[in-house]
Amino acid sequence: MLNQSFNGGIVIDSPHPVEVVEIILAPLPDKVVLPLQQRIGGEAIPCVSVGDKVLTGQVIAKTDDYFCVPIHASISGTVVIIDDQTIPHKSGLRSKCITIESDGKDQWIEHTGCGVDFLHCDQATMIKYIQASGIVGLGGAGFPAHAKLEGIQDCHTLVINGTECEPGIMCDDALMQHHPRDVIRGVEILLHICGAQRAVIAVEDDKQEALNSLLMHCHDDRISIEQIPTKYTSGAEKLLIKVLLGIEVPSGKFAIDIGVICQNVSTTKAIFDAVVENKPLVSRIVTVTGSGVKSPNNYEVRLGASFEHIVSMANPNTNHHSVRMGGMMMGVDVETTRMPICKITNCIFVNNIETKPNTQECIRCGQCNQVCPVNLLPQQLYWYAKNENTDKAMDYNLADCIECRCCDYVCPSHIPLAEYFSFAKALHRKTTEDQYRTDIARERFEFREYRLERTKQERAKMMAAKKEELKKKMANDKAQKGKIAAAMARVKKTKKVSDDVQ
Amino acid sequence: MLDSVFIFSALALGLGLVLGYAAIKFKVEGNSLVDQIDAILPQTQCGQCNYPGCRPYAEAIASGEAPINQCPPGGQEGVDELAEFLDVETLPLNAENGETQPDHVVYVDEQVCIGCTLCIQACPVDAFVGASKVMTTVIADECTGCDLCIPVCPVDCIHVLEIAPTFSTYVPNMAEIAHA
Repeated sequence: MLNQSFNGGIVIDSPHPVEVVEIILAPLPDKVVLPLQQRIGGEAIPCVSVGDKVLTGQVIAKTDDYFCVPIHASISGTVVIIDDQTIPHKSGLRSKCITIESDGKDQWIEHTGCGVDFLHCDQATMIKYIQASGIVGLGGAGFPAHAKLEGIQDCHTLVINGTECEPGIMCDDALMQHHPRDVIRGVEILLHICGAQRAVIAVEDDKQEALNSLLMHCHDDRISIEQIPTKYTSGAEKLLIKVLLGIEVPSGKFAIDIGVICQNVSTTKAIFDAVVENKPLVSRIVTVTGSGVKSPNNYEVRLGASFEHIVSMANPNTNHHSVRMGGMMMGVDVETTRMPICKITNCIFVNNIETKPNTQECIRCGQCNQVCPVNLLPQQLYWYAKNENTDKAMDYNLADCIECRCCDYVCPSHIPLAEYFSFAKALHRKTTEDQYRTDIARERFEFREYRLERTKQERAKMMAAKKEELKKKMANDKAQKGKIAAAMARVKKTKKVSDDVQ
Repeated sequence: MLDSVFIFSALALGLGLVLGYAAIKFKVEGNSLVDQIDAILPQTQCGQCNYPGCRPYAEAIASGEAPINQCPPGGQEGVDELAEFLDVETLPLNAENGETQPDHVVYVDEQVCIGCTLCIQACPVDAFVGASKVMTTVIADECTGCDLCIPVCPVDCIHVLEIAPTFSTYVPNMAEIAHA
């Protein structure tokens, strides 16, 4: 066991522990709703229209954006509608979604990847398969996997994140217990792609079963499996690297800047499927838990199925519930269970409605400072965020806040600190963008004024020059006319003389 | 006694010269008042303040010629900010100058456009692309939403497009956080 760690963080027992971690295959949903908005970038553009028949795994929307992946049909059937629907996001905004009604056959599109002999496949092809299969980080962040792997120069260590990001979630645990072979093969593929010397799979010390099953299938000397203490926020990429390797990723840099690539275990398994079979990502494992369900468990479900589809399988009680996508800490509250399951939906919390304790004034107790895993000063940041003084908050490194809500958890005044931080970050981004636009407008206005002035002056100069030329010409003309007149007079005179002579 | 007087006088003179030289050589060009006022104005360049643009209005404010409440795009917040910066009483926004509109840009209905180029001449930030008798279009990123092009269009083919919040520009509401 490693004894390196980071400051702060909190130990929270799993709120709804289960005896046996299983994966239950959810039945095919009758219809799926697939949002075209992804975590990064704009909306994808549909390449099917209403009424089209689609096969499972068929691309139904794509974009040219490098940070985006295509969207695949997760069942076979008919496209029934393409419209705006609410998707699970804290803003409650609507995104364009494609709705497919199942034909119940689940007919797959043909797909062939590198096959089992994947180690003889070249890296670029593998990365192409990963992008084409729509793989994004399945731990919850949704960062596209191919973007992490492309153009890697010096990567010495590959870190595979097998820690659950939050207490209560067990989808990664279930995956490691039930699909250890795919995970290990996935790690080998990733090692081959990024050229790292070694890979470390991090598993928390309360997941003995997962560790055992991984050990059973791991025969590669380059892959080591490490147990780390179970503490909340050790699942965050930068903190996990610190725990495993003792290296700190500097502020504003990424893991790859220090030669480390980090991928989640579920993503690793999806990469295995993508490379070996070129099989698109059409399903994921979702944990359903909370005080509102009697039998919390993991379900392998098609993307785009509604939350309801699997919540109903976990024996919910008859109370009114509050539903949350993601964990108890960093999750997003959603209005109804009629939301579609997305690639980043790792967990659904269904809780009995409880009254929230009232928020009180900050008493500057400083407990938040002690638990902050990235060594920020939440109480200081709180004052700046509350007063919308985002510049000052940024000076205090607000950008490094991972919004883990450890500070909220310990706050005796129940202040939603992380929400203030998320607000301040968004506000700062907006003001920076507005400032940028304003500066452009000012510059363009000033240049236009300058241009108009310049044109005016140039015209005046040109007119003056023309006038001068005309004057000269006229003077010239006068002289010429004089000469002609003189010549005419001379001619006349000569004529007269000759007439007289005759 | 004389020695010390001499030493200190020399020292004072020497240091004085150094400081004097430094004051000239390393003079920091601070933002002039006009620049600072201009930085607060929204740069819509709409001319609703009765001046031809934001900078001329900033100059007028700086010289005390114009009151601070003539900028509708800046809204009441803008007036308050100006009042705070200039350390004067804030004023309600002057309704005669117009109303504050939500953030928007304009777009050209390209089917209707006749290529008269009047909008190109009216645009204070050169956000139009086009030429005589060809279709004209707006570079949305550079449009400030000043609406100066709308009245000059002879075929009314310029329309307003409100900027709706998207997933990447969404800002949570602080009042909701505070009262949650």
